[in-house]
Amino acid sequence: MKASRYLAAGAATVLALGLTACGGSTGSSSSAGGSSGGAAGAPTDDSKCADAEVFCIGLVTDTGKVDDKSFNQAAHEGAKKAAEELKGFYKYVETQDAKDYAANMAQFTNKKYDAVVTVGFLMTDATIEAAKASPDTKFIGVDQFYDPAKVTVKNATGIQYPEDQAGYAAGYLAGLMTKTNKIGQVLGLEIPPVQKFAKGYEAGAKASNPGISVATVYHPAGDNAFNDPTWGAAEAQKQLGQGADIIFGAGGNTGNGALQEVAKADGAGESKFCIGVDTDQWNTVPAAQKCLITSATKELSQSVTDTLKTAQKGDFEGLTTMGSAGLAPFHDFDSKIPADVKTKVEKVVADLKSGSLKTGVTL
Amino acid sequence: MSEWISRNKMTVGLGAVVLVLAYLYYFADKTTALSMYRYSWSYAVPLVLCAMVGVIGERSGVVNIGIEGQLLVSAFAGFFGAAYSGSLLVGVLAGVGCGLILGGFLAWTTVKWRMDQIIAGVVLNIVATGITSFYYKPGQLLPALMPHVSIPVLSKIPLIGEVFFKGTGVIALLAIVIVIGIHLALFKTRWGLRTRAIGEYPSAADTAGINVIRMRLVNVTLAGALAGLAGVFLSMDSTSSFERGMSAGRGFLALAIMIFGAWRPLRAAAAALFFGFVTAAASQLQADRVINVPPQLVGTLPYVMTLVVLAVAAGKVRAPGAVGQPFVKEGK
Repeated sequence: MKASRYLAAGAATVLALGLTACGGSTGSSSSAGGSSGGAAGAPTDDSKCADAEVFCIGLVTDTGKVDDKSFNQAAHEGAKKAAEELKGFYKYVETQDAKDYAANMAQFTNKKYDAVVTVGFLMTDATIEAAKASPDTKFIGVDQFYDPAKVTVKNATGIQYPEDQAGYAAGYLAGLMTKTNKIGQVLGLEIPPVQKFAKGYEAGAKASNPGISVATVYHPAGDNAFNDPTWGAAEAQKQLGQGADIIFGAGGNTGNGALQEVAKADGAGESKFCIGVDTDQWNTVPAAQKCLITSATKELSQSVTDTLKTAQKGDFEGLTTMGSAGLAPFHDFDSKIPADVKTKVEKVVADLKSGSLKTGVTL
Repeated sequence: MSEWISRNKMTVGLGAVVLVLAYLYYFADKTTALSMYRYSWSYAVPLVLCAMVGVIGERSGVVNIGIEGQLLVSAFAGFFGAAYSGSLLVGVLAGVGCGLILGGFLAWTTVKWRMDQIIAGVVLNIVATGITSFYYKPGQLLPALMPHVSIPVLSKIPLIGEVFFKGTGVIALLAIVIVIGIHLALFKTRWGLRTRAIGEYPSAADTAGINVIRMRLVNVTLAGALAGLAGVFLSMDSTSSFERGMSAGRGFLALAIMIFGAWRPLRAAAAALFFGFVTAAASQLQADRVINVPPQLVGTLPYVMTLVVLAVAAGKVRAPGAVGQPFVKEGK
């Protein structure tokens, strides 16, 4: 009797987790971003997506939210802007569970959307499969790379970013700013885009300050690695406790938790600093303003908008695009960062962009 | 005292060994050790509180699968209550209140209506995820930081004082009191004896004149307040923001810890600290590049350990006898 109870408990728990996932993914699709507010002639629903004149854009997030204040949000804003400029229709789905990628993309391909943006490295394989199944829809994979030797689909393109360059510049700055010669980074899941940030950060720090030690920690779990601010905060606190004075938080809400923890510490903004990721987090995580000297950014929004426009024009070549990456403004810390540090960092950013400086990061 | 020690040789021995090792590491490398212990404790606080919810529920004969949902809704209510009212106290009360309400929901449906306890808990979790996702608004800030205090004399103790009593949040301090309080209440008071009776053999308890239904209702409802406190800790103390799904499975982990701790408050607290330390150690190994433990593997550890304990202690550790069974008074 008791054994069967526990069996039932276990089964129900698994079921519960599964149900939560399914429930969430379909529910959030209704909260569509809509299209161009007020632009004349813009469609208001997706019933006419099969028409050639109506350009419909669908966006599928990774297991994150379009208001995650970093990665997914930036891609979402880029797609929304493209829809406004092209007078098209835009709708998004937030993925709750990795096994729903295909189903979420099918919501758009079934209605003959013209372009589908898939956000995140983890969706690479699912995007290729969907592109094969729906040759009339154009797929844009943010943070994805399709090896031309292996992937032959013509209707999919990946956008990659030189995260290592942004990380390098941030690390270079951190190396110059640290007083304790110890810095840390609190990271999301161990996947190439995050690894590139992390390794770039370390390489940059070592370039400006050879004696520095960098603590690098990735989130342990798989499914909530980008959405566990509690863990991020605890990890940041641990690194601060061990003498790190600059923390790089790179991993969606997990990283945001780390930034906020640094902002709470004694000496935040005076002797302890934090660095954000993906977008200018000065604007997106106001709670971290007390310590946020800069953010290692990717030009997500702009590259998504540009690629969508290219897709609409038709000259969609199925090639991998390389977006750009850099550092966000220093905001209130502009006056607190020594002038020579700023000059050096600006030179590094420029050299990375021109290609005369290499980060040396390999995965 | 000596009699108590001889009865609990294992526990005392293990505790002493752990304590000695902890102090050895502390004196060998103070900064690293302290930061790891503090990490363990802040990791353990919500787990300890949630495990207490499970302990009280199951000791009274009610399985609470819905702790995860209680945690999430309380974190939500605490954060937004404080953000909109501008008062931390309102936030804390809102969070704890939500925990109580959801505890009451679970108690009423399972005890009064005799609904399947597992299903009631699952329903709670699904509703919690839905509601908190739907009403979530980004861009809110807490009006202030939660107070952190140092207890005068206790904070001077090396290691223990520095980890538990120096600059810690009020909720973390409260958690210590709560665990000890529940332990004493469960094993030394009339309430505890009755609670254990209605969880083991409710019809015998009923014959002895205990109102099983009322007692289960009250216990499960009040335990919800602890889940509320844990939720407040998540969104207002350990971080200062609410994110959707931020409970991240901690409510389920707490159930594993409850079983690991053999349905006993103090052991469950020790188990939570142990898992906290293992997590800290794993991230430390990563940071120091000693050996690269795959982080995913570490995440499974609590569950694997629970399986091991259940397998090894099979027969010795057992759940309260009437767990999961609704009580039906004879002759009705």
